[in-house]
Amino acid sequence: MSNLLKSLFRGAAPLPGETGRFAMGLSGVILLLAVLPILTMIVMSFSGASNLDFPPASYSLQWYQAAWNTFVSPDASDVLSLGQAFTTSLLVATLSMLFATLIAVPAAYALVRCEFRGKAAALQLMSLPLVFPMVVLGLALLLIFDSLPFQLNTSRLVIAHVILALPFVVRNCTAAMLSIGSEVEEAAKMLGASPLRAIVDVVVPLMRSGILAGMLLAFIISFNEFTVTYFLYNIDVMTVPIWMYSRTVSSLDPTVFSFAVLIVLIDFALIWALEKLVGEGGVSF
Amino acid sequence: MAHSTLTRPVGAAPLRPAKTISPSARAWLFLTPSMLFLGVLIAASLLVLRMSVGTKGAEWSGFSLASYAQLLEPYYLKSLLLTLRLALVSALIAVLLATPVGYCMSRLQSPLLRRVFLAAVLMPLLVNLLLQSYGWLVILGPGGMLNQALLGLGLIDRPVMLLYNQTGVLMGLVQTAFPLAVLPIASAMRGVARSYEEAAATLGASRLQVFRQVVLPMSLPGIITGATLVFAYNASSFVVPLLLGGRRVPMLAVMVHDQIAPLMNWPAASAAGVVLIVTTLAIMTFSEFVTGRRRRILEASQ
Repeated sequence: MSNLLKSLFRGAAPLPGETGRFAMGLSGVILLLAVLPILTMIVMSFSGASNLDFPPASYSLQWYQAAWNTFVSPDASDVLSLGQAFTTSLLVATLSMLFATLIAVPAAYALVRCEFRGKAAALQLMSLPLVFPMVVLGLALLLIFDSLPFQLNTSRLVIAHVILALPFVVRNCTAAMLSIGSEVEEAAKMLGASPLRAIVDVVVPLMRSGILAGMLLAFIISFNEFTVTYFLYNIDVMTVPIWMYSRTVSSLDPTVFSFAVLIVLIDFALIWALEKLVGEGGVSF
Repeated sequence: MAHSTLTRPVGAAPLRPAKTISPSARAWLFLTPSMLFLGVLIAASLLVLRMSVGTKGAEWSGFSLASYAQLLEPYYLKSLLLTLRLALVSALIAVLLATPVGYCMSRLQSPLLRRVFLAAVLMPLLVNLLLQSYGWLVILGPGGMLNQALLGLGLIDRPVMLLYNQTGVLMGLVQTAFPLAVLPIASAMRGVARSYEEAAATLGASRLQVFRQVVLPMSLPGIITGATLVFAYNASSFVVPLLLGGRRVPMLAVMVHDQIAPLMNWPAASAAGVVLIVTTLAIMTFSEFVTGRRRRILEASQ
């Protein structure tokens, strides 16, 4: 920090490999533009006017009050209350997080520690959901779930979200795994631990920060997912993004902005925690 | 007491009987749960492929290429070209904007600033696209921020229409996919050791020259990866064209949904989906090929 302040304010020429003021300023402006829609939405939620002009003519908490009223006493006209949608969102996000982590940890172990045939293919397959078109995933899962003889409600969303979050969790776990030498495991085995116990009691605790980062990421992804969920939701299971969309599909209602601010705050807290966990290395994507 | 658990009396049973399970089998055992989920993805794509050659009404039994022929009609062809063009342009702009940001992120010293930068990069990627599109509606609307600014600067006389056309969609695409360009570029630039920059500077290169002739070429694989990711992500973008384009910017992903929701034409939706998959995989393979070659050249020259 002090180095940076020095180079910023004393005007000392930065050394090669340090960022100059121009590059810093330019990046700052670009990043500001990148988060501008989110900032705009936060400002708009405090608007005292009822139109979408920016900047708002006056400021008030009226939309928060309206949002609170919707939350505590939902209209009879609403198909599903926000409270229910929020509960569904949390449930789906928590389940997706747990499942994605449970299956990603052994996969990361196998991908880092073991040499086996088909490893290259397995690695490729692991990153497939990253580039797979989400609309097609939604369409295909809808085809599958509709042809099943029984009906899945919450679990269809969980399955979809686990697939979407898996590459992120696996990558974080793999990065954590790579930093652990195989000698700790060998030492544990030499002291009499079974191979499985060596993994559960020695390797997994050492991977903790990577696993936690993966879990957080999975939760954030599931909590914010819209596209695939939009194909799969039905009247019984609706997540918060879908609830918001169904509310604004005809006209934009500023109450939504106050809900959005709440969601952005949750996201920001999770992202901040994620960065703390991952520390200096940066999040693995 | 503690010793007793650590040491074994001589003559006790051998440590562990050798397991007969081979390492390869154990690896696959560990991979099975995740492969099950990925198997759903594979099965799903095959299902879409089968559906795309079905006929409407007899999706599972019929066979016809009518859905693909339909994609060649002017309306659908235009949508395909529009999708590819918007994805390409947005990838170019995103990479252009991401390069300085990635460079800064790879060279930042202060931990706090690094966290702030990373948070600002991650927000557009992770925060629900729907919410960000609401923000864009406010920015781009007739009485919105951008029009006010342009009017205030005297650049325009009356509000320009930015919503529900390609300009607005393009801006939204660039902003939401921007992090996908920054992250690989930053990680590639982190891989360029500072000693190279110092060496170039010692030899008399200006800061711009160092950046252009040393850092940029050495991080080209990251830049290509970033561009590819943005292209693939935006080619199948759904929320942004849906909300910012209305029905006037019919990108392919929106059409896939339209074929299902009002039209119930599963084969047509599937055929459009297959085109999306093929486009994405083709561009990813191409990028893998280019960056792989580039990386080998770089490694050979070092």
